[in-house]
Amino acid sequence: MPSLLTKSRNILGMNARNLKYIRPYNLKPAKRLADDKMRSKRVLRKGGISVPKLISKIRSRGELDDFDFSSLPNSFALKPNYGFGGEGIMIVYGRKKNVSNTWIKADRSVVTEDDLKTHVRNILDGSFSRMNIPDFAFFEERIQLLKLFKPYTFKGIPDIRVIVFNKIPVMAMLRLPTEASGGTSNVHNGGIAVGIDMATGVTTSAVQYNRVIEYVPKKRLLLSGIKIPFWQDILKLAVKAQDVSGLGYLGADIAIDRERGPVFMEINARPGLAIQNANQDGLLGRLKRVEGLKVKTITRAVAIAQSLFGGEIEEGIEEISGKKIISAVEKIKFIDRNKKEFEIEAKIDTGAYSTSIDTELAKRIGFEKTIDDFDQIDLSEYEFVPGSGERIEADFMEKYGKKIKKLENIVVVFSSSGSSLRPIVKTAFIMDKERVVSKVNIVDRGDLKYPMIIGRKDLKRFLIEVSK
Amino acid sequence: MYDGFVEFAVSQGVPLSTVTLTLMLPIVVTIIAFFRQVVGIKAFGIYTPALVTFAFLAIGLEADSILKGAQYGFTIFVTVIAVGTLVGIVLKKFRLLYLPRVAIMITIVSLSTLAMLIAGGLLQRTGLASVSIFPILIMITLVEKFVSTQIEKGARTAVVLSTETLIISLICYFSVSWSVLVAFIQTYPWIVLFTIIINIVLGKWTGLRLSEYFRFKEITKYAEPSHKK
Repeated sequence: MPSLLTKSRNILGMNARNLKYIRPYNLKPAKRLADDKMRSKRVLRKGGISVPKLISKIRSRGELDDFDFSSLPNSFALKPNYGFGGEGIMIVYGRKKNVSNTWIKADRSVVTEDDLKTHVRNILDGSFSRMNIPDFAFFEERIQLLKLFKPYTFKGIPDIRVIVFNKIPVMAMLRLPTEASGGTSNVHNGGIAVGIDMATGVTTSAVQYNRVIEYVPKKRLLLSGIKIPFWQDILKLAVKAQDVSGLGYLGADIAIDRERGPVFMEINARPGLAIQNANQDGLLGRLKRVEGLKVKTITRAVAIAQSLFGGEIEEGIEEISGKKIISAVEKIKFIDRNKKEFEIEAKIDTGAYSTSIDTELAKRIGFEKTIDDFDQIDLSEYEFVPGSGERIEADFMEKYGKKIKKLENIVVVFSSSGSSLRPIVKTAFIMDKERVVSKVNIVDRGDLKYPMIIGRKDLKRFLIEVSK
Repeated sequence: MYDGFVEFAVSQGVPLSTVTLTLMLPIVVTIIAFFRQVVGIKAFGIYTPALVTFAFLAIGLEADSILKGAQYGFTIFVTVIAVGTLVGIVLKKFRLLYLPRVAIMITIVSLSTLAMLIAGGLLQRTGLASVSIFPILIMITLVEKFVSTQIEKGARTAVVLSTETLIISLICYFSVSWSVLVAFIQTYPWIVLFTIIINIVLGKWTGLRLSEYFRFKEITKYAEPSHKK
């Protein structure tokens, strides 16, 4: 399988990551900084990067005994300082009314002061730290879920992981907490990893447990095509964080707060490899392309990243060709006779010249009278034989053209299922935000899947992506 | 037929089995390193599978049968992990601190192991009943590794890593019990120094692990022509 081997040369494996990237580019002091969350947040803040606000910290059992839990705000996140993989994080969303020092979690379960104390004690004992070393606990401001992410998220907060190497962002993914991951965005525990097009910040493909998925589990909600807001800012933050942290091979974790916008969550000295599956592309190939590049400014670094590792998304093509990209089946908007907007699915048919719509659909958009009038006419006087089309059309229009309301023209269609005379009307519809005014023919498509097929005549401003 | 060095060691009162096992250790750890770096089987680091291998060896030596060593060792290992998993699930509800939790686990695991040994005796499997304390202790200490993995990475990972540990340990066990290899090492003990060279090569190995070809198969499957360059 030589093709498989050449392709896998672009994939970054554990051995190469450790030996070629982490060892030489992430030196010990920087690694230690990354593992110490409170200190790294302090350093980031000094570097002008916005991080969640620290509320308070508990460094020992003595401090825990003296800690005044009533001083805590209504919502906060309790975290272990040396935690990793999102373990040991407890998030509360609000205080329970009329009960002192009791909070509520996302799943509506109640957290008492005693629960918090037990959790802090577990943190202090190192239950969630690397190598189980004794740890600190700290409380920080809770990030508020962005409305855009709400339907995609189970409990927790999604974050965006950006791999930065040599000051250039090379790959990014959106991590979505799921039921399986228990609300953490840890992709090893069942969180969803969604690849992001570097140029546009639009999500591409997604994986869960290293398997490709298209939809949010149990929902018909596409994971691709989500446009991440503040994309440029997120990339800039990631580059800046590399500068500040001294990690040459950095995994930057950035969340988006509903009010504050992008907030830096963590720097990671050993970013995982699952991001490759999410993007369906290897990291090694990308890392090699930016190695040795000398970049002077953050804006330049972001621009390089966007032009080198983006553009797989159609928007790029759309910009170049000036044409919209549509799929083989496209949603079409019409205005019905009561001036209300509605949507149907149409099949894009490059085998057809003009567009056809179903009789029922035509009635719905205000051609009921046209169809009724048309049906009144006795067509038995016409004999449909090949070549007779034009003559019949002309004859028909002369005789009945004026009598039928809103009729534009008539067309004789010879097809394998028999020949027919179809009325043509002029209508407008919206496809992929483009308004199309077209003369469409009306035919009974009642037993066909799509009430509309769109022919070549109306596709001049579009490109068709069949895999979409 | 023994090498001079081995004979010298034996003449100084070091038991032949000790000399042989010590010489086998570099081979065992090299096999484990190979499995990690090239095959991609993680197991619980290098120390645990090596210890488990030696527990198997000790059981096999006592039972005087290579197959029985694997058989009894396997039984004890699976018991320890199965009981560990069950107790872990139950203890999770009590929200105990780490060390007391591990202590309870080890207690229950040792009692279960003892019960299993007695059951072995009742079923006339005297070999199983008479397994000595050293290999049993090793197996029981596995529990700590298991619990910490369970807490940090979840029960699924803990079971996967245990299975990997078992597989690697069995492979190592059968390799170093292989009479041809044993005789070879006893004749040419200096050969073990070659493992250092092998490990230098492994330590510089940056290729994809075998497991990673599977992990990233989606990428190679869908890789677009534009990435081919």
